[in-house]
Amino acid sequence: MVKRIQQMINTSAYSNLNQLSHAAKERHLKALFEKDSERFNHFHVQMDGLLFDFSKQNIDADTLDELIDLATECGLTDWTEKLFSGKKINHTENRAAWHTALRDLESPPPEVAKQWNKMEALVHQVHSQQLRGFSGKPISDIVNIGVGGSDLGPLMITHALDKDKPSYAPDIHFVSTLDARQLQKLLQTLDPATTLFIVASKSFSTIDTLSLAETAKTWLQQYAPSELAVMRHFIGISTNPVKMTEWGILPEYQLLFWEWVGGRFSLWSTIGLSIALKLGMSGYKEMLAGAHAMDQHFKNTPFDKNIPVLLGLIGVWNVNFLDLKAQAILPYDSRLKYFASYLEQLEMESNGKRTHRDGTEVSHRTCPILWGEVGPNAQHAFYQLLHQGTERVMSDFILFAQGQALSKRSKFHQNLNIANCLAQSRAMMIGQASEDLHKNYPGGQVSNTLLLDQLDAYHLGMLVALYEHKVFVQSVIWDINPFDQWGVELGKKLAIDILEHIETQSTEQLDSSTAGILKNIWKQNNEN
Amino acid sequence: MKINVFGTNISALVCAGCLAETGNQVVLVGHRENDRSEPGLVKLLDTQIDTGRLTISNNYDVESDYQIISFDSGQCAEGKLIAKELAQGKNPNRCVIIRSNFTMGTVKEIEDLSQIDCVINPDFASDGQAILGFIRPDRIIIGSRNNESLKRFKRLFAPFNRTKNVMIEMSPESAELTKYATNAMLATRISLMNELALAAESLGADIEEVRQGIGSDNRIGFCYLYAGIGFGGTHFGEDLTRIQKIINPSDAREGLLEAVIRTNEQQKQALFRKVWQHFDCQLEDKTITLWGVSYKANSNSIEGAPSLELIKAFINQGSTIQIFDPMLDCNFMIWMRENLSLEQQKRVQTVTEMYDAAKNSDALCVVTEWQQFRSPDLEKLKTLMKTPMILDGRNLYDKEWIEENQFTYYGIGR
Repeated sequence: MVKRIQQMINTSAYSNLNQLSHAAKERHLKALFEKDSERFNHFHVQMDGLLFDFSKQNIDADTLDELIDLATECGLTDWTEKLFSGKKINHTENRAAWHTALRDLESPPPEVAKQWNKMEALVHQVHSQQLRGFSGKPISDIVNIGVGGSDLGPLMITHALDKDKPSYAPDIHFVSTLDARQLQKLLQTLDPATTLFIVASKSFSTIDTLSLAETAKTWLQQYAPSELAVMRHFIGISTNPVKMTEWGILPEYQLLFWEWVGGRFSLWSTIGLSIALKLGMSGYKEMLAGAHAMDQHFKNTPFDKNIPVLLGLIGVWNVNFLDLKAQAILPYDSRLKYFASYLEQLEMESNGKRTHRDGTEVSHRTCPILWGEVGPNAQHAFYQLLHQGTERVMSDFILFAQGQALSKRSKFHQNLNIANCLAQSRAMMIGQASEDLHKNYPGGQVSNTLLLDQLDAYHLGMLVALYEHKVFVQSVIWDINPFDQWGVELGKKLAIDILEHIETQSTEQLDSSTAGILKNIWKQNNEN
Repeated sequence: MKINVFGTNISALVCAGCLAETGNQVVLVGHRENDRSEPGLVKLLDTQIDTGRLTISNNYDVESDYQIISFDSGQCAEGKLIAKELAQGKNPNRCVIIRSNFTMGTVKEIEDLSQIDCVINPDFASDGQAILGFIRPDRIIIGSRNNESLKRFKRLFAPFNRTKNVMIEMSPESAELTKYATNAMLATRISLMNELALAAESLGADIEEVRQGIGSDNRIGFCYLYAGIGFGGTHFGEDLTRIQKIINPSDAREGLLEAVIRTNEQQKQALFRKVWQHFDCQLEDKTITLWGVSYKANSNSIEGAPSLELIKAFINQGSTIQIFDPMLDCNFMIWMRENLSLEQQKRVQTVTEMYDAAKNSDALCVVTEWQQFRSPDLEKLKTLMKTPMILDGRNLYDKEWIEENQFTYYGIGR
């Protein structure tokens, strides 16, 4: 019998939650703590290595029950089953979204295991100083050329785990922007004889990536004696081996992934080569193991103890019932500098949609605007808005229990860091009344706190997989496809058209704004 | 006089043998195992043992007149252990001499533990010339603060200081640094010459001609002025690192001496790079010949030898390697087992005749300056080799002669 899966607004849970939201909007968050001294015990869950505290959400036991009913009514169990079994749930592109298979270390698909072996051999060659450039010197610097998922994930991870880099690992650099300023600046500091470029592009036709790769190739051609020698400096990672070969990538320097790996989920695939080069294959696999542990938790844990499910449902409650407008990501660890930008893509490219799976338009809000910054820095930037602004915002605080070192000063800094994290979430929750409105803090800003044991490859893999599944949970409730991104196509197409106008210096059929700006640019360039 | 010499390295064996030869009663507190690789040492020791003046034993008399510590540089702990035992002695005229190149500060600890003022007498003799270096030194550095100890030391070493006085007295700290600094200076000269060799290659100059030009400047001199494929052994690298740590304890920026080490490490692979470039980065099906494995001639020591870096590099590119070295022994086999996979070991063939190593070879790399390599039979080589190409890592050959015989020639800096 086919189960009837409902759209959110037609479920009975939705009506009940709507009812409950009236009272929630009226009450102050701090009242919930005053009413229940055991609130933390009732509103936190744990798995090995991770504690999720949602007691500072405007939520009570009834709301939680209804949210779980909502997930059930929307068919979350079925969808999760489809996700894990590799069904083509990215229906607008007729593809699976099977990134969970990439981290199944025990029984990976054979094609995945084959690429791991190829990665391992390359990583070993680099780490043993035996991968050679045109001069015969060993490769010492790696430049990852990629954009979007081919950049943000590996950049975020390698930056976060920099201290775990063994001494024999090469230096890793990332370039992504098509203006080539990052690349040109970097090339001035690198030795062409010892630099290797990773060209990471799912289609191997993205103009951002390929244009940068061409610039890198031109740079090498000035120094290397032959075309074969030049190609000793390029590793290609793509789903398209034909395109890689056309571009000149040597067969032994080609790594594959597959169309069922979405770009923003590709750090788990060979796109994670830069991570493996930094941490070694063992570190890379630790990261996969952490993500796999989260997969198992998500797949097998009842909803009321399931961290990604709860994280997703609380987001839905805040967006669709309490009408909160934005999501802040606040890691209290400077190593997570790029975590928020990574999540910007993961959440907003996945769920920034307005069309149901059946092609009809949604009648409710979906993904909120997400942004963030390393907590202690953000305190001196946008926390003012969180404490006293007019926008109602939800925040995720991310904290690690273990500090970086055992010295007295390190412990002091770690304690200072913990104190600040807890102080900020408490201040946002409780507020402080004052007759002087300039010094009045309304409070009532909701937050989650994620407490992980430590920041290493395993726990970071776990954290990233947690947000992936949160996004998936929300997509199911909102009945949208989180795995396509048609929204980014129009701009690419228009850019090609405008580039033609620029090259022919014509403004014909352009709108007056575009034409006006172009004319000003040409005027300046002619004057110079 | 009664002497104990503590240690098992060549420096200790030579010291014990030479002091027995001058009429002393010497106990070598250690054992013989490295004596074969040092020219003349077996004979020296055998003769002195036969006379009865030299014995090898683990038992020694703490009251002996001279206690000479000659452990390896890394054996500071052993040195301190002996110091504790010496503290139990009562002979007021004992003299403790430290010839080991210990880490800075170890001598002070030994003095504290033994309650005896030590004399530092660093050993400057290089392996392969250790006996000559002992009996006819160009200088004897003595670091001490105690006049009595100094007198006793001079008495013992008088037979080696006859032609002219080569003893130089200084503080113990200066004596320790003199040893480090000597190695640092020599190593720096070598790396500098190797950097200049790169410039010579770019300019089409010949570093051998340049060497003649600069060496004849009195301020520079000719010693340690050869470009080549880098220095091996452990002493240079160890002392460079030690001084660098004293100058820059935080290790935050690369200093001159670290650059010397880095240049040297790169230089060890110079011949690989030349072959790699010659064959346009394709070495998978190539057979490479190595003449010489030890880091210098007349020695079986392979520690830090450039040959090992070359073997790793070629093997990792899929080449096959044929090796000849006149003193190749089991230490190389142990190295192979520890550093190469089974499949890789199968691609390394060692032979006992130098021309056999050149059969079907695409490149002959001359790695160590053994005398027998200096005048090869080029006709024979040409018939044996698949590609007539010689890579002269020690600039042993007349480039024109090799090229006239239709070989491709690559030297260092020429």
